[in-house]
Amino acid sequence: MKLLMKEWKLCMHPMGFLMPLCAALVLVPGYPYGVSCFYTGLGIFFICLTARENHDAAFTLTLPVSRGEAVRARILFCAILEAATILLMALFILLKNLIGNTPNPAGLDAGLATIGEGLILFALFNLIFFPLYFRDVSKPGKAFAFAAVPVFLWIILEIAATYAVPFFRDVLDRPDPAYMAEKALFTLGGLALFLAGTAKSVQLSVKRFEEQDLSL
Amino acid sequence: MGSEKVSPLEVRGLTKVYPVFKLEEVSFRLEPGTITGFIGRNGAGKTTTINSILSFVRPDGGAVSFFGLNAAEHSREILERIGFVSAGMTYYTRKKLKKITEVVRTFYPGWDEQAYRARMSAFGLEEEKTPAELSNGMKIKYALALALSHGAELLILDEPTSGLDPVSREELVEVFLKLKDEGKTVFFSTHITSDLEKCADRILFLQRGKLRADDTLDGFRDAWRIAECAAEIPQALREAARGCCRVRDGYTVLVPKEGAEAFGAREASLEEIMIHLEKEADEA
Repeated sequence: MKLLMKEWKLCMHPMGFLMPLCAALVLVPGYPYGVSCFYTGLGIFFICLTARENHDAAFTLTLPVSRGEAVRARILFCAILEAATILLMALFILLKNLIGNTPNPAGLDAGLATIGEGLILFALFNLIFFPLYFRDVSKPGKAFAFAAVPVFLWIILEIAATYAVPFFRDVLDRPDPAYMAEKALFTLGGLALFLAGTAKSVQLSVKRFEEQDLSL
Repeated sequence: MGSEKVSPLEVRGLTKVYPVFKLEEVSFRLEPGTITGFIGRNGAGKTTTINSILSFVRPDGGAVSFFGLNAAEHSREILERIGFVSAGMTYYTRKKLKKITEVVRTFYPGWDEQAYRARMSAFGLEEEKTPAELSNGMKIKYALALALSHGAELLILDEPTSGLDPVSREELVEVFLKLKDEGKTVFFSTHITSDLEKCADRILFLQRGKLRADDTLDGFRDAWRIAECAAEIPQALREAARGCCRVRDGYTVLVPKEGAEAFGAREASLEEIMIHLEKEADEA
């Protein structure tokens, strides 16, 4: 909790606040909604960049905490931002359904399945970004570049799937409330991947950060 | 039964290997309530030693214990009892000191708010300022205020006086002496040896990754003498020499105290000893 507060008070970058608000992009017609989650990844990158510029790793390690605790706090803090993005996305989808939802030619329609798509995207991002970042905390840009590639690949595949894969085209890419059970299963699967991916990310990141020689 | 006091910091055989540098088997022990100066030229391995002691880098060998506790097994307890200050490091330069303190104090069960206020006032620090608005000397004082408010018994400082003007350095030296009077142990690395002449009890001299000397300040200085010669260095002096330097009027030569009288040698300063021994190593 103390480390989470440290993240909030000392490491938070304005982009960390602003990027989750990009969840509002689900209101835009004809937009690949996975990209709105990607912006939160960009916010996380800015937080890690701020941490580097402020010698956060060295500061944290002079506090009575272990390296593992420092890693877990950073990832948990970012996962909270991701969860906030998903929550905001759900609220904006509800709003869109109230004001009139329209079919989306650029990927999944704004609906329950979009939440599942976002969760899978965050699972991928966390699994790649954090272990790379904690291998060398002085190079968050490199970690972000490597994480962005599979994330965009997932977005492209998902858009293509809404045209080519029957389950995506005929079930997930339908306006709510059609196929709600299938969409709920897809979203639950996304949640499971998000939780498993983030847990694995923590495990790998702690191991790498433990081994790292910090250049102070 | 031995009555030896528990050392605030004991290092045994500390080794760290980099592709172009090796810290070799560094061992020493600090006495409680003393000031120890850790000297050596830039690149000698002082910061690597401190980083290894504090586990910022992972040593390849050796053991470190604080207050008799193994560093690897008791890191949390140890970190509550020590303070680290580095001159080259500036944390959260755009955040107000107040905000940084707010965060730091939550990590220490023994945080003494009254002591913090007293230190801030004594050092002339204002909480509404940011580190970016402080001079280098004031930044170090702020870091010291934080460390002392959580009750640090051992202060480890990496080049705290580097880049400071003589007056600020003098002020810091006075702070160190006051801390010593309070029973704190101070361990600081520097290449500005004149600061140590004023306050250190003990000297550790690191040369090319090896601990070349571990002695009291007086013992270290007393082991050497400086001979001066105007023109060419006589053969006898050349044979006894442990490094010589060109100066305006000729040469200065470092010689061991034994036999130095024959050359009319005088006492050597810490700086002269360090420079001449480095010259000797360069020439070897």
